[in-house]
Amino acid sequence: MAMRQTPLTCSGHTRPVVDLAFSGITPYGYFLISACKDGKPMLRQGDTGDWIGTFLGHKGAVWGATLNKDATKAATAAADFTAKVWDAVSGDELMTLAHKHIVKTVDFTQDSNYLLTGGQDKLLRIYDLNKPEADPKEISGHTSGIKKALWCSEDKQILSADDKTVRLWDHATMTEVKSLNFNMSVSSMEYIPEGEILVITYGRSIAFHSAVSLDPIKSFEAPATINSASLHPEKEFLVAGGEDFKLYKYDYNSGEELESYKGHFGPIHCVRFSPDGELYASGSEDGTLRLWQTVVGKTYGLWKCVLPEEDSGELAKPKISFPETAEEELEEIASENSDSIYSSTPEVKA
Amino acid sequence: MQTPLTTTVPVLRLPRGPDGLSRGFAPDGRRAPLKPVVPEIPESKESRESQEQRARATLRERYLRSLLAMVGRQVSFTLHEGVHVTAHFGATDLDVANFYVSQLQTPIGVQAEALLRCSDIISYTFKP
Repeated sequence: MAMRQTPLTCSGHTRPVVDLAFSGITPYGYFLISACKDGKPMLRQGDTGDWIGTFLGHKGAVWGATLNKDATKAATAAADFTAKVWDAVSGDELMTLAHKHIVKTVDFTQDSNYLLTGGQDKLLRIYDLNKPEADPKEISGHTSGIKKALWCSEDKQILSADDKTVRLWDHATMTEVKSLNFNMSVSSMEYIPEGEILVITYGRSIAFHSAVSLDPIKSFEAPATINSASLHPEKEFLVAGGEDFKLYKYDYNSGEELESYKGHFGPIHCVRFSPDGELYASGSEDGTLRLWQTVVGKTYGLWKCVLPEEDSGELAKPKISFPETAEEELEEIASENSDSIYSSTPEVKA
Repeated sequence: MQTPLTTTVPVLRLPRGPDGLSRGFAPDGRRAPLKPVVPEIPESKESRESQEQRARATLRERYLRSLLAMVGRQVSFTLHEGVHVTAHFGATDLDVANFYVSQLQTPIGVQAEALLRCSDIISYTFKP
């Protein structure tokens, strides 16, 4: 019997969610950070969507947010002309990096020693996080505001996207290696280290290029303008969302559209797969994040598998491994005794 | 009761949102060991037990209050063998071994008054 997807809605933001990023898989699970026009980026537990904390300090819309691999640090890019680095465990602000215009994108190197930033001043900046007082290295060349900048090829190269171009730079020499031109505005870019794949969205197209040579691999057309797309870690699926409020799921190998999901009440601005590929998160103009299962009906996080013939005869075991708040201790104890599970209607918000 | 053609995936609960009071990042949070380690005081083992005791007491109180909230309401019970019935909840006995209900809607008619054995009930649900 086919199971219908139940997205988990994470509420809390009061304005559109414009960017989101997952950390790597850490001994404490994985985490999710969301950038929002309300200026208050939030950290959430990646597999459940539970709110952990809000990074307070920015004085303008936050356009970009990222976590380092082990989720100990967070970085945010904002309309207040600053990028900030945060302690992702305590929520404290560690550094404020002043820029000359709106900052749109931030990315940590694998070792978290350097931060790459880009924004409306059209400059790529590399900050040494061990020497925050030192001036950043600057790379110029873009002729319009930078929307996304990413480290690639083991941090030896940099990929950056502005309105109509995607450029590849060598980190050591700080010079441009190659560039791609587009007729339409580039809406998003994602880099997959395993396989060196670059996912670029523009118009209704979702294009895949080699991150090393920028040569095209393949591309798909979606039914509507796409704002963001993400490739599954095992490269089986890709998900994309955009202006028609829907999420589309494609088979990466065949290009076949597998599913489309309604749920958001506004255009989708960002979509990302979790590092284990079990779920993907979408952020929307409607101010919410939604978590979607990759394999619908599987027991994972807050989703519970129920076999059609069974009538909730099994114990519900919530997947909570780290009880620290009273609430979570209660739930862990409750799980030993409770026999009941309940279905939630898809549109219920927390 | 009709079985729908497709069912939605059940969830254990919804994701927790901000508490609206603080910025979060609970100090005794799930990643506390990454911060400077504070040497554990010997009382911690006992306080864990009393913490659990308190948690159990809170859960028990919550459950009893939920039973109070159910009085007079329409409750749907899921019994064995895929049987579903609804009734107005009346009361429970001391050990919560039986539920006293009225207007029990069964597949073979409506019982004005009935005792449901809790051991026969798999789950029940109601809207407060």
